Amino acid sequence: MVKKKRNHPDLQDKLDRPWCYYCERDFDDLKILISHQKAKHFKCERCGRRLNTAGGLAVHLNQVHKETLTSVENALPTRQGLEVEIFGMEGIPEEVVNAHQLTVQQQHYADIQNRAVATGNPPGGGGVQSNGSAPKKPKIEAAADLKKRLAEFKARKAALEARGGTSSGDVTPMDAGQGTQSPAVGHSPAGFPPAGSPPYGAPPQHFSGPPGAQASPQPAYSPPFSQHQFSQPPLQHGFPPQPHYAPQVSFPPQPGYAPSPVQHFGGNPYGPPGPQSFPPSGPPSGPYQQQYQGGPPRQFGAASPMTDFNGGPPRYASPTNGMSHQRQGSLPAPPGLPQKPVSNVPHVNSYQLQQMHQGQAPPGAPGQQELKGLPSSAFDESVDELISAAARNAEESSKTTSLNTEKKAKKDKEKNIKLIYNDETVSPEEKMAALPRYAFVPDHKEVIMQDALEGALTGTVGA
Amino acid sequence: MSSSAQFEIPENQNPADAISSVKFAPHSNKLLVASWDKHVYLYEITSGIGTLINKFEHRAPVLDVCFGKDDDEAFSCGLDWDVRRIDLTTGAQNVLSTHSAPANRLVYSNTLSLLISASWDSTLHFHSLSGDQIPASLALPSKAFSLSLTPTKLVVAMASRALHIYELSNLHLLISESSATDSAINTIEAEPWQRRESSLKYMTRAVACMPNDAGYASSSIEGRVAVEWFDPSNDSQARKYAFKCHRQTVDGVDVVYPVNALAFHPVHGTFASGGGDGIVAIWDAVAKRRIRQYHKFPASVAALDFSTDGKFLAVACSPGFEDGKEDLGEGSVSVVIRELGEVEAKGKAAK
Repeated sequence: MVKKKRNHPDLQDKLDRPWCYYCERDFDDLKILISHQKAKHFKCERCGRRLNTAGGLAVHLNQVHKETLTSVENALPTRQGLEVEIFGMEGIPEEVVNAHQLTVQQQHYADIQNRAVATGNPPGGGGVQSNGSAPKKPKIEAAADLKKRLAEFKARKAALEARGGTSSGDVTPMDAGQGTQSPAVGHSPAGFPPAGSPPYGAPPQHFSGPPGAQASPQPAYSPPFSQHQFSQPPLQHGFPPQPHYAPQVSFPPQPGYAPSPVQHFGGNPYGPPGPQSFPPSGPPSGPYQQQYQGGPPRQFGAASPMTDFNGGPPRYASPTNGMSHQRQGSLPAPPGLPQKPVSNVPHVNSYQLQQMHQGQAPPGAPGQQELKGLPSSAFDESVDELISAAARNAEESSKTTSLNTEKKAKKDKEKNIKLIYNDETVSPEEKMAALPRYAFVPDHKEVIMQDALEGALTGTVGA
Repeated sequence: MSSSAQFEIPENQNPADAISSVKFAPHSNKLLVASWDKHVYLYEITSGIGTLINKFEHRAPVLDVCFGKDDDEAFSCGLDWDVRRIDLTTGAQNVLSTHSAPANRLVYSNTLSLLISASWDSTLHFHSLSGDQIPASLALPSKAFSLSLTPTKLVVAMASRALHIYELSNLHLLISESSATDSAINTIEAEPWQRRESSLKYMTRAVACMPNDAGYASSSIEGRVAVEWFDPSNDSQARKYAFKCHRQTVDGVDVVYPVNALAFHPVHGTFASGGGDGIVAIWDAVAKRRIRQYHKFPASVAALDFSTDGKFLAVACSPGFEDGKEDLGEGSVSVVIRELGEVEAKGKAAK
């Protein structure tokens, strides 16, 4: 504790340190300051006697050595004057004290900031917020995000290959959220519209929240919904991979997610039955839709439709924030899509893709558009590749950025040095000699010993 | 600081352009100053006053000057490639040899009556002044930048951070044996006693030998001074060190000045360094301490010399050449003589 404090003294400690008026150096205690002043500023050059003040030194010089003192030795240019009588911390003009404290403060905050940047830790208590660490964090998260996404995708791909057709991946998350959600869902009719109103926000909700709640606010989306259901069968394949999800889900943003798979797998009967019923797209979808559609009229019942659907546990996972929605929706969807040649499917696809994209890349509308045009069959691969590539890029870039920052730090260090003269082979004199005004003109002046000179000249030049 | 401890050569007696070298006479307090204004100045320094005795015109800027066998003989060299002897009483000059590029450094060994000149043509010229001998030339691997002598050794600092240490006795032998050819100059080949690479990373600026013949100090353009010992044993070599100096922090940027001049105090064995920042500091090479640092001089310190008795320190201030400038920097030309107190340049208790 004590040591720590010594390493990073707080502002008051710094302000309390005695310091020398003449050279602005600070000291551990007043005694040392006084002996410093006697040794550096008040010492007689003639006899080495150390006086207590500049005035004392002046008198000494005058009386003993018959000399006059004009300035204080080793002092800063502006502090050489003899007008101020300084002893230790006594006698320092107030404005100088204030200026000193100000610089100490600035230095202190600068130190804190530098330390925060250097260590990556948030600035210590009481310090100014460091800007340095703030940008760093989001970056890291993004990278993690990407990796997660990559893993998810791989899992999904695996699922695709294994394609046996089983319960819907989608559902899981929903289930999970449900318990907690239901109250929220209750509000949903009211709550959603605002949420849904932005074009973007709305879609995600759809996916994740097949429950009628959504439908009511935004009937327009119902078609997508049905598509969604269609796609669901494939999603079910997603199940095996879903365990993967669970860990991934450990995201901060999706607290509700993690538990869901567990429930789903373990206690929830839905998993197994669901898949079976679904693959035949017709029947399952029908009921679902119906229930779903029924939802709105039922007024809320988000929970209830789900219950129907699942055959029990409500699965309106709709995590509280949009992120999770997107994720849930997006993940399961892609694997299913290619297989179902339903006309609507492509549409859904692109949508989901967008979502995925959205989730993966820093949310930005333009990015989401990119994938729309892709043929559905190509999706898996292309998307997979894209994402893995992106992940790789992200890793690399994070690596390089860290490298860069290291380099930068080094460079900064170097940059902070300015050489007045820097040349490896040509001395300053040589450069001066090259100046026109020093150009040597042999005839300019005849020298007394002209003969000897010429002899020597020709001799060397000839040789 | 008491103002009386330091005085300037009166302004009307100052060189008109940058100063390249200052040298005290071996037996008196006469001072030679070489300048880019094509003159060598001779001053008489007494306590508190510096008086111009004479000045000697050259046909080109003078890069170095030194005293010869007595206080009335001097040598100079400069941009006209010549090495000259100047009779300080009559003002007569004669050319001893001519390099194939400007000659920039001179040292004179009194014991061997040998004048050694260095040049940017990567040669040393040896002028044996005892007899009627033709000068001898020795090729160096790079341009010579600085020379320094001890009674037994010659240290040559060159470009590319090379540094050669020659034994004077060997050189002298070679020179005396080489006078066979009839050309204007003899060429000799001599292996240095030691070849070293500078312990500093940047161009060597100056080198100066300890008066006790134990080692030397060298400085670079990058605000650093290294102290090394001649003795090649590991123990002695382990003692060498370098330190930073002549730097200023301006707005968080470390501004690094070249260390243009080094001079050892003939009595105390401490040494002074003068930098492009206009600061002169006195160091104790053994105790590794700075003894004192003087107030900033009005311009870059171009040259330094202690008087033979160690009572005076001559500081040549003139604008220095800086990176990124077409011409010399700002600053006035002046020669400041510092009268040293008894213990002013003495090392700490070590002595």
